[in-house]
Amino acid sequence: MNGHPAHEEDFDLYALGALEGEEKQAIESHVVSCVACARRLEEARGRVALLSFAAPRTEPPAAVKERLLRQLRNTPEARVSRPARAARVEPAGAFARWWAYVLVPATVALVLATAYMSMENRRLDREIADLRAAVQDQQKQLDYARTVAHLFEAKDTITVSLAPMPGMPQGAVKVMYNEKMGMLMYDGWIEPPPQDKSYQLWVVPMEGSPISAGVFNPATSDRAHWMTKVPEGVTVKAFAITMEPAGGAPSPSGPKVLVGPAT
Amino acid sequence: MRATDVALMERIVARDETALAHLYDRYARMLASMLNRILRDSQAVEEILQDIFYQLWRNASHFDASRGSLPAWLLVIARNRAISRLRHRNPAAGEELVENTAVMPLSLESEISRQQLLGRVKGAMEILPQEQRACIELAYFEGLTHSEIARRTGDPLGTVKTRLRSALEVLRRNLQP
Repeated sequence: MNGHPAHEEDFDLYALGALEGEEKQAIESHVVSCVACARRLEEARGRVALLSFAAPRTEPPAAVKERLLRQLRNTPEARVSRPARAARVEPAGAFARWWAYVLVPATVALVLATAYMSMENRRLDREIADLRAAVQDQQKQLDYARTVAHLFEAKDTITVSLAPMPGMPQGAVKVMYNEKMGMLMYDGWIEPPPQDKSYQLWVVPMEGSPISAGVFNPATSDRAHWMTKVPEGVTVKAFAITMEPAGGAPSPSGPKVLVGPAT
Repeated sequence: MRATDVALMERIVARDETALAHLYDRYARMLASMLNRILRDSQAVEEILQDIFYQLWRNASHFDASRGSLPAWLLVIARNRAISRLRHRNPAAGEELVENTAVMPLSLESEISRQQLLGRVKGAMEILPQEQRACIELAYFEGLTHSEIARRTGDPLGTVKTRLRSALEVLRRNLQP
């Protein structure tokens, strides 16, 4: 997907989990590079979450809160300092005393050990889940780095510097573009736009209308870089960044802020 | 005076257990209702409920109140987990506060607001034609995609897509603040 999803329902359907295949991927790849649509997706998640209120009301199990609070206090120190409730044993004879001295402590120890093992098991499960999430994050970063490297190495990748237009916010932006791969990388800085405006990067083709390559709202003038997919096989005449109403526009409507010819 | 979610989250970051207990009291019923509707398994509901609040305790410092709504995040994560369990899938990766940021169009901090919303959602669902309501319920409470709903109901895929889209449009119009 190059442009923005046309309807709010597109985001609702994604948040609902109803989309699949290309429809799902189109939203996912678009929101990566479009701040405004990422926000629309956040709003859709909130709207869809309201559907939970269609469920019949039931009370939460009473034991959960108690177990949760016990889990919070589940530090080794707390476990040591919290004595097990002593079993009340009144042995009648020597054998009963032996029973009390050996088996009761052993039972208590067994119960404590079981509880400890259970808690440790849960802790380890969570650590494994955290590690799995970290590995997935790293995989995403690695994929991104590979694509960047591929873009840099390709002989037919062009780099275009965009120059600020007079009277417009200052900035210095380079765009790397590969026509065959349909990949574009933005690298640079630009002064934040006014509150009710967004910047929008356009691929201006040799023929046809400009193609949106992303809407962005830098909060600071710090350097940033991001990458996005654009249609493959588009021969580019120029790249331009315009100032548009917040959230972007389907075609350029605002003033040019930075422009760079591709040739 | 009732503490806001943001104030409670700040106290949780400072490791105040009573703040988590307050949030639990505030939102556990909302979550348990949804989890019960999806799973119909009290043991699984208990586990997910406890896990979610424990995750909140551990990751509270990542919560940015200016970007998202806490009850919305709780509902999104709880539903993800319940659907994953229902469909024997691994839980979706990246259940961090940031990655599942959700913005709710209204506050749910008071019991009155939650009760009012309950009435509005049920009212909005009743407006929907039966076929649309069934599609929404299959998607939300069973986690089915367009084509899975089509297979389940025997309706053409295009019909299912139209029903879901129309239903969402009606719900959005009727649930706007």
